[in-house]
Amino acid sequence: MTATATPARRAAPARASRGLWRDALVRLTRNGPALLGMFFIVVFVLAAVLAPVISPYDPIAGSLANRLQAPGTAGHVLGTDLQGRDELTRILYGARISLQVGVISVLMGLAIGGTLGAIAGAFGGAVDNVIMRIVDVLLAIPGILLAIGIVAWLDRGLPQIMLAVGMTNAPIFARILRGSLLALRESDFVVAARSIGATPLRLLLRHMLPNALTSLIVAATLALATAIIDVAGLGFLGLGPPDPRTAEWGTMLTDSTKYLREAPYLIFFPGVAIVISAIGFNLLGDGLRESLDPRLRR
Amino acid sequence: MALLEVRDLVVRFRTHDGTIYAVNGITFDVEAGETLGLVGESGCGKSVTNLAIMRLLPKPAGRIERGRVTLDGVDLIALPESEIREMRGRDVAMIFQDPMTSLNPVLTIEEQMVETIVAHRAATRADARKRAVELLGMVGIPHPETRLRSYPHQFSGGMRQRVMIAMALALEPKLLIADEPTTALDVTIQAQVLELLKDLTARLGTAVILITHDLGVVAGMAERINVMYAGFIVETAPTPDLFARPSHPYTVGLLHSIPRVDAAEGGELVPIEGVPPDQRRAPVGCPFAPRCAWRVEACWADNPPLVPLEPVSRLVATGPGATHQIACHNPPLPDEARTGRPTRPGFVAAPPPGAVIDELAVATPDVEATLVEFPTTDAREERR
Amino acid sequence: MAKYIVRRILSAIPVLFGLSIVLFSFIHLLPGDPAAALLGQHATPELTAKIRQQLGLDQPLYVQYLQYLTQLLHGDLGKSVINNRPVITDFATRFPGTVELTLAALLFAVGIGIPLGRFAARHTQGWQDGVVTVISLFGISIPIFVLGLTLQYVLSVQLHWLPTSGRLDPRTTIPSVTNFMLIDTLLAGRPDAFVDALRHLILPAIALGSIPLAIITRITRASVLDVNNEDYVRTARAKGLTERRVDDRHIMRNAWLPVVTVIGLQVGGLLAGAVITETVFSWNGVGRWVVEAIQDHDYFVVQSSILIFAFIFLAVNLIVDIGYAYLNPRIRYA
Repeated sequence: MTATATPARRAAPARASRGLWRDALVRLTRNGPALLGMFFIVVFVLAAVLAPVISPYDPIAGSLANRLQAPGTAGHVLGTDLQGRDELTRILYGARISLQVGVISVLMGLAIGGTLGAIAGAFGGAVDNVIMRIVDVLLAIPGILLAIGIVAWLDRGLPQIMLAVGMTNAPIFARILRGSLLALRESDFVVAARSIGATPLRLLLRHMLPNALTSLIVAATLALATAIIDVAGLGFLGLGPPDPRTAEWGTMLTDSTKYLREAPYLIFFPGVAIVISAIGFNLLGDGLRESLDPRLRR
Repeated sequence: MALLEVRDLVVRFRTHDGTIYAVNGITFDVEAGETLGLVGESGCGKSVTNLAIMRLLPKPAGRIERGRVTLDGVDLIALPESEIREMRGRDVAMIFQDPMTSLNPVLTIEEQMVETIVAHRAATRADARKRAVELLGMVGIPHPETRLRSYPHQFSGGMRQRVMIAMALALEPKLLIADEPTTALDVTIQAQVLELLKDLTARLGTAVILITHDLGVVAGMAERINVMYAGFIVETAPTPDLFARPSHPYTVGLLHSIPRVDAAEGGELVPIEGVPPDQRRAPVGCPFAPRCAWRVEACWADNPPLVPLEPVSRLVATGPGATHQIACHNPPLPDEARTGRPTRPGFVAAPPPGAVIDELAVATPDVEATLVEFPTTDAREERR
Repeated sequence: MAKYIVRRILSAIPVLFGLSIVLFSFIHLLPGDPAAALLGQHATPELTAKIRQQLGLDQPLYVQYLQYLTQLLHGDLGKSVINNRPVITDFATRFPGTVELTLAALLFAVGIGIPLGRFAARHTQGWQDGVVTVISLFGISIPIFVLGLTLQYVLSVQLHWLPTSGRLDPRTTIPSVTNFMLIDTLLAGRPDAFVDALRHLILPAIALGSIPLAIITRITRASVLDVNNEDYVRTARAKGLTERRVDDRHIMRNAWLPVVTVIGLQVGGLLAGAVITETVFSWNGVGRWVVEAIQDHDYFVVQSSILIFAFIFLAVNLIVDIGYAYLNPRIRYA
């Protein structure tokens, strides 16, 4: 009964959901821009992980005798900075901070926002109402301003920066997760599962979360791009790591603004590093969105 | 010369997943004032045919690859864009399936009706407005003066479809294409809208192409029916003739898959097995062969042309006396058409070429057993 | 419609209320003593106690909050601990600068983003769409300060086309009336200074507007493509309307809706971005003031600025929502 069995099998949710992920992966590997994004991300991650292996120099200590060497100078491909430190080395070590703070802040945002969104979306009603008003409040404070506020009050430090950037993303994640959970609550397959007596917890964990996860994954990937930019932004405003000598892209830019005329490369290279890693996550996020929701493809 | 002549029309879509063979060389005529039913499952090319006639295929994927379409002798396919645009709405109008989405939600009914009229006639807005009121009254909308200022969401589905009909008939076109005009409506409303459509087009002498998957709808509306399958016309006949003598296995299948009140004459429900073919593959053989209980070996390799059911001296293309034609190598006998299955003793549907035939299945001829052998639908599933 | 507006306004009140609690908690619940922070290295137990008393920090929390709320409702945002001036006064003199910058950036983003998005949507099959996609990808991936510094280096330092920073040539003095430089120069009858102010505005506006530009371009493109697939657009074409009329009347009237909402949401990003832009371009506005306040630990300034920015953000989105309702008859006549 091959022929007649086919439509029934297509409707089976288990197969559909496993198929979704596998199909998405296949589509992703065929998505040129997404692959380019992944390439940038790999470069970024390798730079962060292998910084001490690649570079023989110290990212913090330099010699003033060696300061402001132009790019291409023997031993200093990207030149040296105001303190005579190797610029390439500082960019590689800067990737460590960006990657670390970026990933952890997004995870923190996911933990806070995801929990809020899951509770709101799963319970609905009054709980939903209260949580979403809190989310509204957080969303009313424009992005980096919230982060600035948090760092200003909690004082400078990497954990504070992570929390600050995480908090800017948390309300966004909460909204996305709640939105997809609420839509799923009414969807046919959840109603069907409920009608055959699935428990609420099982409904949430087994049927709704995996399906709601797709949009959250896309949002988290895109948030990594914003997180890297925001972390650098905090650094640029002087709210970066407490030790001003730390190799952090945003801080490196602030230090160099006064030497725009003499050493524009000190702006250019960290700038390119930020842009490339942000482009990497933006391309991957867009690619994920397209492959997880083929209807979006044009 | 018929009002509309479609000759060997081929439409294909170029998509990311390859070419879709949507319409594969169809030929038919529509006479002035005649109502032609176009029947088939979704995806059989009914709607694409008509979008091709209007030159409204989704760009740039949809392409007319071959064929001729003439309206009153004017070649629509060769016409420059500006001229085909002038013909749309004026000479050929369309009504779509879903009245909920076919009207622009942010424009009033007045704006949408008036713009149609002024696009084609040198009328002032006031004149166009007067005409719009008249038209709304004609399609049975109460208080047309005030209703004109409403937005689509303030109307019910049935009322919106009436507005669509009023808009389509505003310029008294020669041909009206109605694409599943009642599918989205409640059953009770369906009959009203169909009655209105029939009445108005008869009064205005408008020819109609009625696209539907519902044989019940065409039975009461159309003088003639084209049955389409996978981009081909597989059977064409005047309506009474088609219902009296369905002669293509697919038509037989369609008639047997709808419950009938007069089921006394052995009209048991017999579903058509399987799904329509994957139109991403160039058609080989008869497109219905994989689902057909009457297929013979030739069906797998050779797509039969549309030929008269009985020898005729002259082919009649339109009107109530049109020639009954089918595209089939092994048409069901009248008795088989009544029961919906082959009853000839010892007849077994031909297995697909190259398939390993189970000896047991050959020894005990059984329709069900042979159905198991088809890999076609499965191969399609794998590619999703 | 009136009911909708009232409901929308009422829904903003709990958010503002919640916001005041959040900002209040920032100072009073989080670790760190504002009094000690204020005094910095001068802190002695006696001095700290005195400051605490002055600030009312020795009162129970709910009393402090009620006091804070009462002051807020009277338009009293507290005083700067640095210069002892009411926050609202300094804010008022600096705010026009931020408004000028933000509006210029918004104008740039909308004025270029919408045509660019429509252009891309019309050429999805050609190279044009690819180019627009790359532009918007860069737009969202370049931080304001990187773009700002790059523009400064290329267009000011190297090419000398535009001034590097500030709102006006330092040699020019214009009496401050409205604190909107473009208006004040005209009031002073100095068209040359007006042009100069305009030239100063270009680079910061581009730097600040690039992210909204990218987002508006994307959303416009997606929205036009979405609407293009709608049945009613097919109906419009089937009626024989000209392509231009289909585009302007049937597609854009609908495609506008999501774009309008997104433009409203960009205002938040612009206000936050102004903080960075003003720092890069030494632009005398609220943003730079906030950054200075943070460095000076002038908490009330930071707190009040965030509150005002959030208030503006909510107000703008309220106006946008009402505009949306006006554009969308399904809400207008609901």
